[in-house]
Amino acid sequence: MPFPESLRSLGPSRSRPNRLPLTYIGLLCLLCASLAGPRAVAAQETPYFVAYSHHLEEPGNLEIELNSIYGVQHAGNDFIAPWVEFEYGAKAWWTTEFYLDWQGTFNDSARFTGFRWENRFRPLRHEHWINPVLYVEYENTTAADKTMIEVVGFDSQADHAVPNSIAQMEHLHELETKLILSSDYQGWNISENFIAEKNLGHDPWEFGYAVGASRPLRLAVTPESCNFCRENFLLGAEVYGGLGTSWNFTQIGTSHYAAPVVAWQLPSGVTFRASPGFGLNSNSHPFILRWSVSYEIDRFAHRVRSLFR
Amino acid sequence: MIRRSLCGLLLLALTFVAIGSASERERETDDRGVLLAIAQAPLKTRSWHNPYQGQPDAVLAGKKLFLQHCAECHGPQARGIGRAVNLHLSAVQNATPGELAWFLRNGNLWRGMPAWSGLPEQRRWQLVAYLKSFRR
Repeated sequence: MPFPESLRSLGPSRSRPNRLPLTYIGLLCLLCASLAGPRAVAAQETPYFVAYSHHLEEPGNLEIELNSIYGVQHAGNDFIAPWVEFEYGAKAWWTTEFYLDWQGTFNDSARFTGFRWENRFRPLRHEHWINPVLYVEYENTTAADKTMIEVVGFDSQADHAVPNSIAQMEHLHELETKLILSSDYQGWNISENFIAEKNLGHDPWEFGYAVGASRPLRLAVTPESCNFCRENFLLGAEVYGGLGTSWNFTQIGTSHYAAPVVAWQLPSGVTFRASPGFGLNSNSHPFILRWSVSYEIDRFAHRVRSLFR
Repeated sequence: MIRRSLCGLLLLALTFVAIGSASERERETDDRGVLLAIAQAPLKTRSWHNPYQGQPDAVLAGKKLFLQHCAECHGPQARGIGRAVNLHLSAVQNATPGELAWFLRNGNLWRGMPAWSGLPEQRRWQLVAYLKSFRR
């Protein structure tokens, strides 16, 4: 969404944002999860932050994930945008996920920027060379949202230079759809996502893409339980960016990123992920850093039901 | 905005719980479906050979994988929780290693068994080695 240049804050600064409640909420969630006494389970994780594979959450399991992105801003203030994900395996073929987004901009303020509700469906019964997944998401956010969970249309770093007090006044109700194509071959996962997003108010469809490839460092596991074995680490890379709109399908004026990704899956069920990303053109942030910690609660629905017996 | 978001959050939480209860109920009636699903494996899978057959380390590694991924539904002793399938049943134990490997990769999505294609093939064979060790 274009903003007048006069509204953009100028000059990077490095003071702390006013408040970041997400850190405390996230830690509280993880504490509650560990107090609930779930058995350690390990999901079929891919290390991507933007791209999706065809691997869904196991049915009945709830994964709580605390994510964050740090962005270096040209002609503006750097920011940290955390978000919490609650990913639930409703069926073996259907995963539903709820997001809460925040952001803190250095030398500006910190704000809650909205929520998202996404659903992923596997339409085919069996595995194939290429496995499709249909993705539908509703977003209720403000223009101050900086989580960059996807990049579409003509999204650019200039959008994030707008002061929070002005950006938060624009509410966005958006429908996002994705066609996820994903393959597994000899330990590698290769995923391609085609994104189409629509502001339910007035804007045209915006398009984007994300491509990822990853592999565990060791394919077979060792008999011993270990934290630092190669089998617990996944390495990969993802590339993502915008593809213009239905009015102007182009790469000119869009932003693009390349990011190596690494994940560390502990036997206790905790997974850490990190990904430094690099902007590939002048419309992109020159550098972003994403990180996350997640914990999976097995048989969540069963545990909730047992509370009411 | 915040009040509307909180209402939305509450509704979604209730939806999660409702969906969760439904999925639990469905899982409790699907063991016959899982057993029948093994029979869907293509004929060629019967000749697939487990590269880890007869390797004690592979059985131990498979047990570790089982406890990480499978025990939550099938139980730590693989005898099933609720009505999730008992993996000691003859219908499972009489399946060939290839059929079990195929079933692990594909799952039975409509009946609650997830596809484990996200696990590398080597790990699925280690799981099969563990499952087959029950017969001894």
